Amino acid sequence: MKMNNIELPAEQTPEFSSVDETSLIVVIFDSNPGQKLLRDNPHILTHCLDSIIAFSNSHLMQKAQNKLAVMACHSKKSEFIFPGSGKPLDVRQIDGQYETFTLVEKTIKQNLAKHLAGESPMLNTESLLAGAIAMALCYIARLQRSKSPGCMLNSRILVVTGSSDSAMQYMNYMNVFFTAQKQNVVIDVCALDQHLSLLQQGCDITGGLYLKIPQLQGLLQYLLWVFLPEPPIRQKLVLPPPAKVDYRAACFCHRELIDIGYVCSVCLSIFCKFSPICTTCHTVFKIPPLAVKAKKKKIKL
Amino acid sequence: MDEDDPKEYRWETGYEKTWEAIKEDDEGFLEASIADIIQRAKRKRQSKKVYGTKLGMMRHLYVILDCSESMSSQDLKPTRLICSLKLLEGFMEEFFDQNPISQIGVIIMHNKRAEKIMNLAGNARKHIKSLKNLNKTTLVGEPSLQNGLEMALKSLKSLPTHASREILIIMGSLTTCDPSDINSTIESLKKEGIRCSVIGLAAEVYICKLLADKTGGVYNVILDDSHFKDLLYQQIDPPPAACGQESNLIKMGFPHQMAVEGTEEPLTMCMCHVDSIDEGSKLTTGGYYCPQCYSKYCELPVECRACGLTLVSAPHLARSYHHLFPAMNYKEFAYENQAEICSGCQKQFTENEKEVYKCPNCNNYFCIDCDIFVHETLHTCPGCATNSSTFQLTQTG
Repeated sequence: MKMNNIELPAEQTPEFSSVDETSLIVVIFDSNPGQKLLRDNPHILTHCLDSIIAFSNSHLMQKAQNKLAVMACHSKKSEFIFPGSGKPLDVRQIDGQYETFTLVEKTIKQNLAKHLAGESPMLNTESLLAGAIAMALCYIARLQRSKSPGCMLNSRILVVTGSSDSAMQYMNYMNVFFTAQKQNVVIDVCALDQHLSLLQQGCDITGGLYLKIPQLQGLLQYLLWVFLPEPPIRQKLVLPPPAKVDYRAACFCHRELIDIGYVCSVCLSIFCKFSPICTTCHTVFKIPPLAVKAKKKKIKL
Repeated sequence: MDEDDPKEYRWETGYEKTWEAIKEDDEGFLEASIADIIQRAKRKRQSKKVYGTKLGMMRHLYVILDCSESMSSQDLKPTRLICSLKLLEGFMEEFFDQNPISQIGVIIMHNKRAEKIMNLAGNARKHIKSLKNLNKTTLVGEPSLQNGLEMALKSLKSLPTHASREILIIMGSLTTCDPSDINSTIESLKKEGIRCSVIGLAAEVYICKLLADKTGGVYNVILDDSHFKDLLYQQIDPPPAACGQESNLIKMGFPHQMAVEGTEEPLTMCMCHVDSIDEGSKLTTGGYYCPQCYSKYCELPVECRACGLTLVSAPHLARSYHHLFPAMNYKEFAYENQAEICSGCQKQFTENEKEVYKCPNCNNYFCIDCDIFVHETLHTCPGCATNSSTFQLTQTG
């Protein structure tokens, strides 16, 4: 019964809008204990979690139809901690608090504790955020499929993370960004500790917001001010200006950003200098165009 | 026609008892069963994708559209032409989305002549606009397949050899009116390594089949409009590289904003709109600058008009990577309570579940919807990508 508020779109309020609009947020919380931020100061986890719970409840409070999902992302496994698998918890009203809020808080805390307890002592510092976003996209795709006709489901993903993004996940990141763009899912990123250039590209591709928060103490404030308003409303607000995203490519040979490079016609690997053999797919290139191009270059210089 | 060609003529193939495949569900509806057939077909095509084949990634495709009298026939609603144009619009969008550094040109055949509507270019919006204008073309006379092919051949011949060169013909007519022997044209197409595919709107025609056969393309005749769409969209995936295709390193520019911290960028015009009539160039700040000659463009990817350098951004290249490194195919298992929930969408498996799908790499179970979503759209297995011991394997093989 209590879940109804979250799981089912309400059927009334035709006087306000002609279509039933539901707004879904999937919060991906990077709770990997291996990340630097949490290793230095484990108490931050509680602080972040409280902020996220308050943020989630604010989202549910805005409209009765709004939906919520929360995921915990680690290096070995990512899990939905709300709504968890199995039956919803049995909650009673405490201190006059709306039952759904109690349910959200209890479910998230319980499932996260379970998830953290299952973490192996071998800590890995890299959280696999791309995988978590992939799971979130599958989840959103299912809700899109199962929604009743005539309903609108606006979905977005909010990533809250303190770890860094590495080029190891580059391909996975790109796949999820383009899928999100295709499915009209907005990806917002709230960076707690380090600047995340790959995720910033993802925000730019999907039309979301990227913010590296200057002060961790004010996390809830930033969440509520910047990330709570829905994307159509954001244009009317004064928000942190979008940073210019650097879309230059890094060459495969030295991992340096380049302006002009050579691209293998077979596998699209990028090199900063001409080489006769592609190191990725081992294709042998024919030499003649090199001579022409080298000449051209000399003239230019 | 080759004697050993296993494919018979369409009217010779065995009677397909399609009605036996369709079964009513509990409430007596057929829809679920039809959806099932479609999903199965998707899976089958998916499983054919082989890992690690060399693909022609830089594609140059000419779409040759029949605009003869036969295209006014109303067997496709409202007419064959309008239906084809509508589908082509979607096709172009999807094509450029999946093949960002490729180019398409459009040729129409009518009144025994071929006419080039669009030169090879990589801008989806311009293409769609010119397709919309085709609505008003008068459908007269017979098409000339040879003239159409010759025109495409002339243009494709001059392209560098590393490009994948293709022709897609949409043929409504059952006849072609050619100035000379079409077989010689087919021979020269074959020699150049140009892949020709034909989609027939009426019935199978020998010369089309021969053309597709000799040049390594595919020939199909549509059943109805949804089948037409299906066949058309099959052309979106890059084909395996032609054997004669040479590989090459191509010089490309990666433009970035010139803005220096603290200074406003000057107002400038972009090169893409500078001489267009209907959409005048506006003075704007920002844009992409060619790293070689500093011409400004408002959109990527584009070929620099001043110095001819191909300008792309890194995500454009990344968009094509999934063709080269597809997600591993899942294996089908009958459902015997192997898992409680789908590892992707968290759907609870119930008794109604017939099959579940297991990733051979991360051993997670998925439902059929996720299987299709992962392989058609996402191209990343969510199970593999969330585990540090498997997330890299999907990329390196």
